[in-house]
Amino acid sequence: MTLLKREEWQHFVRDVDWTLSYVDDEAVYPDWLAGTGKVPRDAWLKWEEGYKVSYPEYVYTQREKESATYAVKNALQRTPTFDHLDEGWKSATKMHFGGVAQVEYTAMLAELKMARFGLNGAWRNMAVYGQLDELRHQNLTTFFGHALVEKDPQFDWTQKTYSTNDWVPIALRTLFDGFMTTSNTVDCALMLPLTFETGFTNLQFVALSADALEAGDVNFASMISSIQTDEARHSQQGVATLEILVEHDPARAQWVIDKGFWANARAFAALTGPAMDYYTPLEHRKQSYREFMEEWIVDQFIRTIEDYGLKKPWFWDEFMRSLDIWHHSLHMGLWTWRPTLWWKPKAGVSAEERDWLHEKYPNWETVYGDKWDVIIDNINANNVEATLPETLPWLCSTCHLPACNPTQGRDGSWRVRDTSLSYNGQTLHFCSMGCRQIWWKDRDNVNHQTLVDRFLAGHIQPMTVPGLLDYMGITPEVMGDDPDYEAWTRDYVGREASGLITIGGAA
Amino acid sequence: MSTTPMPEVVADEQAPELVPLNAIFWTDFVQILVPVTTANTIDEVAAAVAHHSEGRRVRALPHPKIVIHHGRRLPGHMTVAEAGIKPLDHVTVDYDLTSDLPEETAS
Repeated sequence: MTLLKREEWQHFVRDVDWTLSYVDDEAVYPDWLAGTGKVPRDAWLKWEEGYKVSYPEYVYTQREKESATYAVKNALQRTPTFDHLDEGWKSATKMHFGGVAQVEYTAMLAELKMARFGLNGAWRNMAVYGQLDELRHQNLTTFFGHALVEKDPQFDWTQKTYSTNDWVPIALRTLFDGFMTTSNTVDCALMLPLTFETGFTNLQFVALSADALEAGDVNFASMISSIQTDEARHSQQGVATLEILVEHDPARAQWVIDKGFWANARAFAALTGPAMDYYTPLEHRKQSYREFMEEWIVDQFIRTIEDYGLKKPWFWDEFMRSLDIWHHSLHMGLWTWRPTLWWKPKAGVSAEERDWLHEKYPNWETVYGDKWDVIIDNINANNVEATLPETLPWLCSTCHLPACNPTQGRDGSWRVRDTSLSYNGQTLHFCSMGCRQIWWKDRDNVNHQTLVDRFLAGHIQPMTVPGLLDYMGITPEVMGDDPDYEAWTRDYVGREASGLITIGGAA
Repeated sequence: MSTTPMPEVVADEQAPELVPLNAIFWTDFVQILVPVTTANTIDEVAAAVAHHSEGRRVRALPHPKIVIHHGRRLPGHMTVAEAGIKPLDHVTVDYDLTSDLPEETAS
């Protein structure tokens, strides 16, 4: 028997569908899970994506990619390449492994949801490949991270992070539960494949891949490049879904995209911003985080929303101002609360690095320089203890990241201001106006307790720093610390220093 | 029908209660959790908040400190209870560089 040519059968099988007769459509695709909302059911017949991959092609391509990536890994494992990588760069990869590996599994569940409840056969078909992609990404990332455990126990958090109560994964679970776990399929397609995979993952997978090659980490670059090519395909579910939703319910499309974009912007400011502008060695930085954001996110996002007749989000001005602020503040926060991390955050504020920061961010010295100077003077006074935290940062009720975003007042000063609201007799604090607005509109959905909420509710015992670290799963062998204090403080040794606290080994 | 009014409870007569605050030392970079009690004075609140920032990230200055709550500068001798500061309220602590801010009492 002669095999049919692909073009003779592919169009027919890719969107094959059921004609239901024994049950109602609502029983098979309940609205709370499928999420058609105001969109007429028949409108989804027009759902269309460009890749149209078949299963044999999918398997062939993935097999090729797997072979290539593992060949690189096997070759490099027999070399001392990893041992010569900069400690700051290693931290960028530890953040990635811990923050991404098991999130991929959650993404697999989201794809499975779309594979079952997507409102068109072609969509469900594409989501099946998406699910296989995400399973592969989880396996690949976990396996690559696992290979490094023998070299450094912090890589053990590749597998561990997402199931601990460390404040970083709590923030990540809050974000991804909203995108992937609790969303209906239509909202999921707009937040996960569209805002997250079409936009923001480029930062981590394309931009960081370039930095990886510069830093000499071919293994990491090979791994994430292999993953990114999958993203490009299954992320097409996003625009295909948007096209139909925007026609029938533009207000909902606008809100879901706005919300998804903001949540992504907060998370990537914490995950990718410090890695690019502080951890990556100066000589290996391709661009600043802001430059990457403008090129990969801002321009592309504006093009997308204009193509579909949507408006700029209400928070656009606040977001654009944030590109000079958020990740610098979060970097200082990550460094200050370094005992709560599974990596070694490099401060990255030597004189030369500060020159670069000032060049890329003209306000940097004004907003952050004074505080880093006091920290530097404490370290040079042999008083590292003064730079360690004795309480928790206040964590935003929406994004669960520290409330540390200064804004410029009329007098020109940069200050972190109170952004709060009272609801049902409770006072809630937020890191930004955007997070407060999203909480208010989504208040019936938001239910994760921040680490501060848990601490105040008595869930963390004993209510001490060791009790907190134990609750977060932090053990002595992984507890984060600066990898090299001298590297960024030596430029300032011997200068006049006043107004330091006198604790620890203070001079 | 008349009811006998309840005797007014004076804040000072109550056992001190925990008041966790969202606080910032004005030029620092982050809001922090600072636990105080209803019996603490405003000067003690200022010291408790400053402890986490002053000389660590914010250079210490030889000026008295002030506490701002809901836009009001609070007198240093007043207690947290008298000032009406509630759990989870926000307070800002700053150096008194001007000394010309009007002092108000809690109503």
